Amino acid sequence: MTDAQRRWLPLPFFATVLVLWEFAVRQSGQLALYPYPSGVLRAAIRTIGDGSLLAATSGSLYRVLLGFSIAGLLGIPLGVLMGSLQPVNRAMSPIIDSLRSIAPIAWIPMALLWLGIRGNAALFIVTYAAFFPFVVNTIQAVRLVDRNLVNAARALGASRALIARTVILPGSLPVILTGARISLAFAWGAIIAAELAMGIKVSAGGSGAVGLGQLMVSTLYIRRDVNALVLYMIVVGIISFMIDLLMRRLQRNLTPWR
Amino acid sequence: MEHETSSLAMRSRVESVAMRDRGSWTHSLRRGEFVLALAAIVAVWQMVSVSVNNKTLVPPPLLVLDAWIGLWAAELPGDILASLVHLGVGYGLGIAAGLALALLAARFLLFEAIIDPMVEILRPISAIAWIPIAILMFGIGRGVPIFLIFYAAIFPVFINTLAGIKQVDPHLLQAAQMLGASRRMIVTHVVMPAALPLILAGARLSLGVAWMAMVAGELTGADSGLGWRIFWYQEFFAMDKVMAVILTIGILGYILDTLLRWLQARITRWSQDGSEAGR
Repeated sequence: MTDAQRRWLPLPFFATVLVLWEFAVRQSGQLALYPYPSGVLRAAIRTIGDGSLLAATSGSLYRVLLGFSIAGLLGIPLGVLMGSLQPVNRAMSPIIDSLRSIAPIAWIPMALLWLGIRGNAALFIVTYAAFFPFVVNTIQAVRLVDRNLVNAARALGASRALIARTVILPGSLPVILTGARISLAFAWGAIIAAELAMGIKVSAGGSGAVGLGQLMVSTLYIRRDVNALVLYMIVVGIISFMIDLLMRRLQRNLTPWR
Repeated sequence: MEHETSSLAMRSRVESVAMRDRGSWTHSLRRGEFVLALAAIVAVWQMVSVSVNNKTLVPPPLLVLDAWIGLWAAELPGDILASLVHLGVGYGLGIAAGLALALLAARFLLFEAIIDPMVEILRPISAIAWIPIAILMFGIGRGVPIFLIFYAAIFPVFINTLAGIKQVDPHLLQAAQMLGASRRMIVTHVVMPAALPLILAGARLSLGVAWMAMVAGELTGADSGLGWRIFWYQEFFAMDKVMAVILTIGILGYILDTLLRWLQARITRWSQDGSEAGR
């Protein structure tokens, strides 16, 4: 099998699957029960047309970016401290490890209590999820900085601040950016989970901030629109894919020497 | 220059020897520092809860500990068992499916050409995004967490197994073939051992995402398990119990990961790759 064949082979396969799927659902006559391709397409046109999809997605994305930024501002300094000072690392790493094992959305009841339903609870979950990849990767990044370079700079009389800015930062940036990529992916997963759980468990009559997760819940329980559910799933997937792509490109552009 | 690098290398060697000599008591020191940090966190927690002065909003550490001990005599063992059943079934099926698909993909090019883009399309759709559909498919119950765990666990194992099989040294295969090994024997005696470190690393990654999927699935679509229990207590505003369950989730997750890391180090002791991937 040549490369070109390999690349084009899946296309007819997937096309056949989609056509068969559509046909099977239409044949069964249960159009309200099962999702089908043309129905998903119609749901896409409708929700994009009335703006509800865009509003919900941007609401979720806004909280993801905010939580991601907070997590970075807290996580990178802690990672630098833990990576460069051994006692801090030894004291903190078991605590970080055990907090990391708590699934972020397990905190939802506490977050709801502390911060309320208006989006802040979800923001807490997102920040929590994004925090740990930042810490872990920054520790790793600081450790990977070439000691010889630091020693050389010190021998040449550079101050601590200068070394931090001109040697340690560029040396650790690639791995920190890897951490940022993982963080953003985690944050996106966490916001959907948090919004879903809040939507399902807290029947506040739609008073909460609206995101993609809440939209999914109302589609599931109120409108019972399976095609829209599949569409939202695909949107979640596309955004994860875009996040990964963008972060990889950013990483390449910011650290071209890697 | 030459001299300088060699002296640096020597110094680093001397340093590492010195570190090793100190090893015996750094261990106890490490434990001491950890206890100190833990005490500091508990102290801050206590201070916050005293200043807030609201047992529901911030349950004090001793109250949570008390609730936790009390729960062991009540619901906690059952909840842990239910969660472990979800995890065991879902994770077991996911690992088996991931391995089987990867083996098929490695064996049949046509299969790989189809399954590979499928994986690439499905992988960005996290298990969590499947929750509403899973609730529709299985209803509230064991089905939702098991399905989510299964789905989350497949991908890391599949990807790592396929990568592991592909990086097997072709010379080894040729040598085995030349010595008259059967196809089956080559798979069990050459390919699998060589791919094992990566497969185990994949299994550990899978466990991490499966654990998160389990909590999410139980929170939203189950009627048993630790995740479900959190909201159960929340309905009574028993926040000390909520905290106790949250901490249990953390401790169990940590134990499971440590267990798998230990297993990984033990099984692939011979492999540099395995021990590195474990970190």
